[in-house]
Order: sequence, then C-alpha cells, then structure tokens
Amino acid sequence: MNTVIIINLNGNAFHLEEPGFQSLRAYLERAQAQLQDNPDKTEIMADLEQAIADKCAHFLRPHKNVLTAAEIDDVLKEMGPVQTDGATPAGATAGEQPHVGTKSTAGPAPKRLYQIREGAMLSGVCSGIAAYFNIDVTIVRILFVVLTALTGGLWIMVYIGMMLVVPFANTGEEHAAAAGAPFNAQEVIDQAKKHYAEFKDSKEWRRHWRQQRREWRRRWHDGAYWWGHNLQRNVHQFSTGAAYGGHFGAALLIPFLAVFNALLFCLCIAAIVSLATTGAIFGWVVGGSIPLWVSILILMFIYSVIARPLRHARRAIYFNTNGSNYMWFAAWYEILSTGVLILVCWFAYTHVPQVHDFFQHFAQNWSTMWNNLIDSFRHTVSHKPADSWLDAKVSSAAAAASTSAFLALRR
Amino acid sequence: MTADQKFNPIRKGLLEFLILQIISADKVYVADMMKRLQETDFATQEGTLYPLLSKMRREEFVDYEWQESDSGPPRKYYKLTAKGKSQLAEFKDYWAYLNTTINQLGR
Repeated sequence: MNTVIIINLNGNAFHLEEPGFQSLRAYLERAQAQLQDNPDKTEIMADLEQAIADKCAHFLRPHKNVLTAAEIDDVLKEMGPVQTDGATPAGATAGEQPHVGTKSTAGPAPKRLYQIREGAMLSGVCSGIAAYFNIDVTIVRILFVVLTALTGGLWIMVYIGMMLVVPFANTGEEHAAAAGAPFNAQEVIDQAKKHYAEFKDSKEWRRHWRQQRREWRRRWHDGAYWWGHNLQRNVHQFSTGAAYGGHFGAALLIPFLAVFNALLFCLCIAAIVSLATTGAIFGWVVGGSIPLWVSILILMFIYSVIARPLRHARRAIYFNTNGSNYMWFAAWYEILSTGVLILVCWFAYTHVPQVHDFFQHFAQNWSTMWNNLIDSFRHTVSHKPADSWLDAKVSSAAAAASTSAFLALRR
Repeated sequence: MTADQKFNPIRKGLLEFLILQIISADKVYVADMMKRLQETDFATQEGTLYPLLSKMRREEFVDYEWQESDSGPPRKYYKLTAKGKSQLAEFKDYWAYLNTTINQLGR
C-alpha cells in the first residue's frame, strides 16, 4: 500500500505513488537549477513537463490509473538529465545515450548512509546499509542477528545508536544518494570533514539530534497508526455489523481492550521486576549472556510494539462513534483499565506468594533490583570491578534512562 | 578511455547540425526527432534536446508553430528559418572540407 499524490503536469492530472512523486520532484528541481539562467526557462520546463506527461500516459490503462514509483523512475531515465551547454553533468553526454539508463542521473551524486523506511522491519537501518553496499537486505539482517548473538546482545546498541543518528531518506534525491554513485576515498574524507565541522558546533549537534528524534517519533507513530488503522477498519466493520448499531459493538470492544491492555501492562512490569530481582523471567532464564539492562529494554520494546496498535484501535473506536458519546467511551475505558489494574494488583498480592513477598520486603527488593541494574551497566561499560567515578556516571545515566523509559511506557 | 568515449565531445558538438539537417527535410516535432536520432549514434534524450532547441530558437536558426494533433495536446512543430538554412549549408561545406582534409593528411 502506498500513498498516492495527484499532480498537475502542464495541465493534466496524474496519480503518482509517493516515492515516485519525490523522485519526479527532485528531477524537476534539478532541471530548474540547471536552467536557472536560461531566458526560456519557463518554456523549457513546460516542454519537459509535457514530455513527462506523454510518457506517463503510456503506462495508464482504463483500470490502472496510478503510476508506480518504478514507472516514474523509468520515465525519468528516458528523459535523461536536463543539461545546457554551460554546465554538462559529467558522464552523461548526448552521444552515449544508449547506456544512460544504467547511470545515475545528475553527475557524481554523493553516496550516503540513510535509513530507508520502505520495506523496513524495524527502523530501516538494515535496508539503508544494504542499499549503501548494494547487497541483499536479508544478508544484512542475518549479519546483525549473528553479531547480536555473538556479542551477547551488545550489538543491539549499535542498531539503536544508528537508528537515532543515521538520517532517514525522505526525498528522491536522498533515496538516490542512499544507493548512489560509486564510493571513493575523497568522498569519505569530505564527508568526515563536513561532519566534523557540523558536530564540532554543539548547538548544531543538538539541533540535529532533536530533529532526528522528532523524525523517528513521527515515523514510529505513523507505522503504529497504520497498523491501528487496519484494526480500526475491522473494528468498524464489526461495530456497524452488530445488530444494535455501531455503539453496541464499540461498547463491547472497549472493555476487551481495557482488560487486555491492563493485563499486558501488569505482565510487562511483573516480567521486568522478576528479571531484575531473580535474573529470570518467571523462572525462564534468558539465554546467552544478554546484560540485564538490554533485556529490560527489549521487554519494554515488545510491550510498546503490542500496546501501541491497541491504543490506536481504541482511538479509532472513539472516532467511529458519534461525537457526543466520545467522552463516555473514554471515561468508560479509563475506569475499566484502572479497575482491572487495581484488581490484578490485589489478586496478585493476596494469591501469589512471590508478589506478596516482594511487597513485604519492598525496600530491600528495590535496592537489589537497582544494584543488579547498575551492575549490568557497569559490566557492559567496563570490566573493571570498582571505579567510583564511573559508578556515579553509570547510576545517574541509569536513573535518567529508567525514568524516561517508564514515562514512555505509560504515555 | 575507449575510442568511443573520445568521440563523445565530437558527437555532442555535431548534434545541433544533425537537428538542422532533420528539420530541413520537413516540419517535425520533438518525438519525431528523437525517433530519427534513436537509430543513429546520436541518440539523445528530452533532457538534452529541449534546452538545445530553445537555444537554437533564441539564435534564430529554428522556429516552431503549434499544431493540433488527433491524439493528445497540440504539439510544437519545428521548421528552419532562413538563417538556419544558411547555417546548415555552411556546416555541410565545412564537413566536406574536413573530410578531404582528413583523407589528404595521411598521404
């Protein structure tokens, strides 16, 4: 499934898939830049648009009215880079046209590492690396999994680090650059210099970092939303199909979601506590030698992966029902989920001896958990047993990380 | 660098005169020109051709007129101007001269 964008090419409307639209826009922007000083710029642009429109029309049939990204790329390859006498992109002269299809369009495009969202499993880091080195993405993924196993989970941090730092490929040009022109040493040096200059300035670095986080959140949100959206469709069908109209179905689904979500949250917290105190999740010892804090992060991640679409489904129900009832559904959900949460806690406290024990000696258990966590951090950062400076660093980092993680979970 | 690559600038420089030659026979529109060139060593693309034609029109070697087509929007049909005709004649003379020069130099 792909978003479709409608564009106007010299007076005709065309439906394009979004990536195709991005590459077309990049092409036309490059053309405009090339024709910057040309007195006939407007006319040439109109001619080019018309030529693109003619080529696009060949791909359309009575029952096919959307142009795919691949078709747009074909059209643009056929058009060839826009060039004037003054500035001729290297390697693309008129005479060698028959080979032009396999070349990158506008001269020596730089090759950069991007995260590619399309076809990504998590964030697109592996897809980006695969495009960069021009190898199959499955190989990269297998490599990542193997490395993670070999390093006892530490390699996950490399993935997370890249996820946060490597930019996303948004425009067609960035997509082109992700798989772009051949790579050479000068490019590495230039890039390194450029990055050094960028990151030397800490303000710049913070800005970049904020932008990256926003982007990541947005992507993640979009992905979860899409998932929730599908659920929403099913929910909608279910609720409109129910005998007593939409509200009846929604009213039935809300308690189900509330109970499920509350149980899931309890389970997640219980698993984390169990892991931190005994080093095993409900008696199941985590394989390999994954550090404690990595396992906790993984648990939180699994929880949010399951919980987010549920939350979106719930919102979908609110929106599907008539506006006036929205408040009641929201209140209904909140009361139910809080009730279930209290009920589960009470039940666990009275009926599960381990939980009872845990709360009886809460202070002691809490410090055990905390020490285990700090130890696992310290063990990862340095194998030296005691270092007070490192201790202070690690424990403050751990405190900050765990607070923000907890807040994120409940958000 | 292969011989073929070395010929690139020559082909590039000649393209303008080949277009004059194509247009001299009859009024043509861009897709026709492309088709004619496609079969030769001078195959080119819209991205190159449109800016080149606009430059030639500015220099008053060619001109165009809009003509309705039965399939799709009206098209630009290009034709030679008087200046274009004399330029083409000049080019042909020069080409013949180059040919004899090249052939005679080896003897």
